[in-house]
Amino acid sequence: MWPIIFLKSSIGKKWVMACTGLCLIFFLFSHAAGNATLFYSTSLFQSYADQLHSHPLIVSLFSKGLFAVFAIHIITGILLFLQNRKARPQKYKVHKRAFKNSIASRTMIYSGLFILLFAVIHTAAVSFGDHGVIAHTVSTMFSSFVLSMFYIVAFVVLALHISHGLWSMLQTFGVNHPRYTWIIHKITYAVPLFFLLLFGAIPFLFLFGSGN
Amino acid sequence: MSEIDISLEIWRQKDSLASGVFETYSLQRISTDMSFLEMLDVLNEQLTREGKDPVAFDHDCREGICGMCGAVVNGIAHGPEPETTLCQLHMRHFKSGDTIVIEPFRSRVFLPIKDLMVDRSGFDRIIQAGGYVSVNTGGTPDANAIPVPSTTAELAMDAAACIGCGACVASCPNGAAMLFTGAKIAQLSLLPQGQQERKERALSMVAAMDNEGFGNCTNERECETVCPKGISIRNIARMNSEYFKASFFS
Ligand code: HEM
Ligand code: FES
Repeated sequence: MWPIIFLKSSIGKKWVMACTGLCLIFFLFSHAAGNATLFYSTSLFQSYADQLHSHPLIVSLFSKGLFAVFAIHIITGILLFLQNRKARPQKYKVHKRAFKNSIASRTMIYSGLFILLFAVIHTAAVSFGDHGVIAHTVSTMFSSFVLSMFYIVAFVVLALHISHGLWSMLQTFGVNHPRYTWIIHKITYAVPLFFLLLFGAIPFLFLFGSGN
Repeated sequence: MSEIDISLEIWRQKDSLASGVFETYSLQRISTDMSFLEMLDVLNEQLTREGKDPVAFDHDCREGICGMCGAVVNGIAHGPEPETTLCQLHMRHFKSGDTIVIEPFRSRVFLPIKDLMVDRSGFDRIIQAGGYVSVNTGGTPDANAIPVPSTTAELAMDAAACIGCGACVASCPNGAAMLFTGAKIAQLSLLPQGQQERKERALSMVAAMDNEGFGNCTNERECETVCPKGISIRNIARMNSEYFKASFFS
């Protein structure tokens, strides 16, 4: 059966990573849009949350879909990592990287696992809290310096993951042509930076600023 | 002509089953005009005179076109010079007093044969799976009978420059053979002659590659950086889309 052959193949798994990765990036955009209401006022954010949760079917569909996509991305990522480790069983005595600037690519599995840890903590703190007073939950959360720092570190790690991930995804989709190199280069900096600034500003908003 | 004194740390392994160790040798008055392999020849003469087993290493053309030579020199496949095979690397790139660590290409698939020689027949099996065009033999066709635009021809030629040395696999932290396989799939998918078997080729070459046990590309770009022929990972992107199209639309 061709779909099974495809999914089992090395390149098929790359496609799974790329498609789920793209879905996760779309999710981040929508999440970022929702959170952006916080920059206006906490009450707007509260009404956004109330609006969202007045459609339980949509919320449930999206959160289940997101969970599935996330799970597939993680399981395939771990599978690839384990397979790749097996393919190079013996280390070199002298180990040198020929290509510079590959920190993000080298650490995909670790940055990914850190994001997973973050996602678990974040979901526990927010989703299972009381939605009626989500704005309150968020503001008490970010009054903790340690928790705020954890969030910021997680956003840096996320930016690192996406900076390599986006480029890698385009390569998997076959988009690598001298004509597009300049724009791909810009996107792989702009998108992670966008998320880093937007998400990262929120803890600061509550720590030092007007957020209340 | 200047001369240098160097010391070598070379992986010695009796056969595929033996466990290997690094042995240290010192060489005096090596001409900087020598190629790396000529330097190893000098070492082997010295070892033979001492009644010891010479270091086994692969080589053939010694002019950078056959793909037989190759070892990891100081941590980099084919040594420190970009776009240079080991046979074309010259001793002038080393200094007197240098210690040079020489290791065989390592991968799950490239099993050791002896010392620096490894079995790269996995590559042959990938090519046998579809890295060719089937044509009926007959009279020599006219070279310009099938027109190919020059930009396309250039891209195909860039991919065809692969000499199959295996440095891509050796340098890849995942032991992936995607640069090698991608180069061949890209080359033939670009040319009119490759169209008939285009989809079948992508499917069976990727299956053969996976079947050998090579790893999966994670875009570390080590392969294209060490490739003695400067093959770009654009060819991997092309393979990714070729394989996708072949899987879904054939
Ligand atoms: C919102 C969170 C995440 C986003 C936006 C995201 C996005 C991406 C993208 C776009 C890719 C590139 C796909 C490709 O190589 O073609 C990728 C790769 C990867 N992701 Fe994620 N990811 C996220 C979370 C995670 C998590 C939680 C893990 C946990 C293990 C993970 C593990 C990986 C690994 C290992 C790769 C590399 C796969 C490879 O190169 O073969 N990611 N990610
Ligand atoms: S011996 Fe032929 S390429 Fe080096």
